[in-house]
Amino acid sequence: MKLSKDGWGGLAVLAASLFLFALTLGLKDNPLVPIGPGYYPRIVLAVTAAFALALVVMDLLQPKASKPRESLNYLLVIEMFVVFGLYAGALPYLGFRISTLFYVAACNALLDFPRTPKGWARALSVGLITTLIVYYVFERYLTVLLPRGRWTNF
Amino acid sequence: MFELLGAGLADIFQVKYLVPLFIGTLIGVVGGALPGITITMTVIVVLPFTFGLEPLQGLACMIGVYVGGETGGLITSCLLGIPGKPSAVATTFDGFPMARKGEPGRALWLGIWASILGGLLGAVVLVAATGPLAQLALKFGPWEYFALFVLALSMVAGLVESSLIKGLLSGALGCVVTILGNDPVMGQPRLTLGIGWLEGGVPFLPVLIGVFAFSQIMGEVERLSEKKDIVQAKIELVVSHVKVLAEILSRPLLLLWSTFIGLMIGVLPAIGGSAANMLAYDQAKKFSSRPEKFGSGIPEGIIASEASNNANVAGSLVTIMAFGIPGDAVTAVMLGALTIHGIQSGPLFISQNAQLAYGMFAAYILAHPLVLIVLFFGVRWVLRIVIVPKSILFPVVLVLCVVGAYALGNSMATVYVLLASGIGGYLMVKFGLPLAPFILGVILGDQIEINLVRSLMTDADLWLFVTRPISALLLAMAAASIILSVWQHRRMQKKSAVADGAADF
Repeated sequence: MKLSKDGWGGLAVLAASLFLFALTLGLKDNPLVPIGPGYYPRIVLAVTAAFALALVVMDLLQPKASKPRESLNYLLVIEMFVVFGLYAGALPYLGFRISTLFYVAACNALLDFPRTPKGWARALSVGLITTLIVYYVFERYLTVLLPRGRWTNF
Repeated sequence: MFELLGAGLADIFQVKYLVPLFIGTLIGVVGGALPGITITMTVIVVLPFTFGLEPLQGLACMIGVYVGGETGGLITSCLLGIPGKPSAVATTFDGFPMARKGEPGRALWLGIWASILGGLLGAVVLVAATGPLAQLALKFGPWEYFALFVLALSMVAGLVESSLIKGLLSGALGCVVTILGNDPVMGQPRLTLGIGWLEGGVPFLPVLIGVFAFSQIMGEVERLSEKKDIVQAKIELVVSHVKVLAEILSRPLLLLWSTFIGLMIGVLPAIGGSAANMLAYDQAKKFSSRPEKFGSGIPEGIIASEASNNANVAGSLVTIMAFGIPGDAVTAVMLGALTIHGIQSGPLFISQNAQLAYGMFAAYILAHPLVLIVLFFGVRWVLRIVIVPKSILFPVVLVLCVVGAYALGNSMATVYVLLASGIGGYLMVKFGLPLAPFILGVILGDQIEINLVRSLMTDADLWLFVTRPISALLLAMAAASIILSVWQHRRMQKKSAVADGAADF
């Protein structure tokens, strides 16, 4: 019996919920409340584990229908997540303005790869214009503070 | 009630409220028309702009986005054959064939007028029902609230089309998010996993933004191709509005029934217009004297779909304003906006914030004529905007998501929550786990725990959950909704098995 995507997903959730359930056993009760901080999490995690197990069992029992494979660009998705991760990581060090400029330009280049110097100029200008508009609208007019960089103080 | 509504309308006519409402409506129409950009994403983009505004200004803007988005989605559905959003899918079935037959103006304006009429009929129910429902909810104790939230979660999980167990698992995962960080009753740290930014708990808004924005954008990214949408240079949109209105009003039962379906779907938590328009279309076809004509470009299909998806907005607003339970993802963002301004949603919302509540009703009503104005003068502009390249649109949307998440607490922790939720949301979609029950679990998880603890602190007897009449009724409804969906899923499976078998022979 082979597991499909549903079965593997269920197994992952089952493992995570059992791990968290084990951690709740170490939570100390509070004398002011009749039930401790672990009471509700244990119910939720037990229920989650039960549903995850049911998903695995159903996946094992159900006949697998073969579906036509779609050709999807997962590499681009991973690249987008990586660039976003770098952006989130860079924000506290480089600050909003510098990080956003490079992030938007990089994303634009990823989604529509520039093949000429003009294309690169387009990606950078999209980054610059977005950064300036967002910065001025939020910081100047809506008084929403945006992250400053520890390294750049900008 | 009418006095308060009059005062609300007078408020909303002030320039300081009218401007954000109009801007919201305009953004909503454009966002709704953009294929691949849903209303949820549009409202998420607008959210950070509302932080610096007064609560009613911000909420009026969001209501404008919601109403504008529901109507805007029909533009590309009718004229390009590409639904601007999931709740306009059924509009495409008859709207696009009608446009291709040489009547694009008729198709478009049938949809617009049906949206306006459905939305305004929904407003009657919104204004009339919210107050009494909130009064009823005031009689609830922690047992009833616990049961109500469990009912909301089980209904949403049960209404998921793909699999009941996946719906339930998704809702449970949402509740798991709320147990990380700290205990909401005593604030005691728990399950932080040694991660610093988890210590304060997980705020629901960045989770919601991350889950929806990333899953939708990455879903588009993985299908990104070189193909560009082509807009016809000249589309004739001139039409007799009197004739179009007469076409709709000559089918009063269709209009009322579709509006009713939209309202009911809206009232059910976290389902939304995508279900409403399909169900209304299906019902219109079933009750029609010429069902075989559906899909060939007949007005009934357009009217049913559009009246229901705009009435759905009113239904969603009823649930959030009476019970504090979001009717869908858009109202979940609104719930977050209320929280940011320190306003407690729930049954006391209307009595404690009457001016704000009736201002919201007024904004909802006024958004409809504003949509009409925007579309009357700007359909061609909207058609030009929808061809903005995704390579520009997506990074801008993600930057606005970061701004929205960061501004919630001026802390990078919420941005990390956003990223983690984005990855989680995308994986959930890939594993076929529905997002709606998950989000409802994230929103209601804390409330379920608080009410469970409160009820046990008042009386440790667990039997009270089933011996108090309202609580027992709500829990029985929760059980019934799960049993019903199990039965429905089995019936559907049997039907598809029979259909498969027939195809083989």
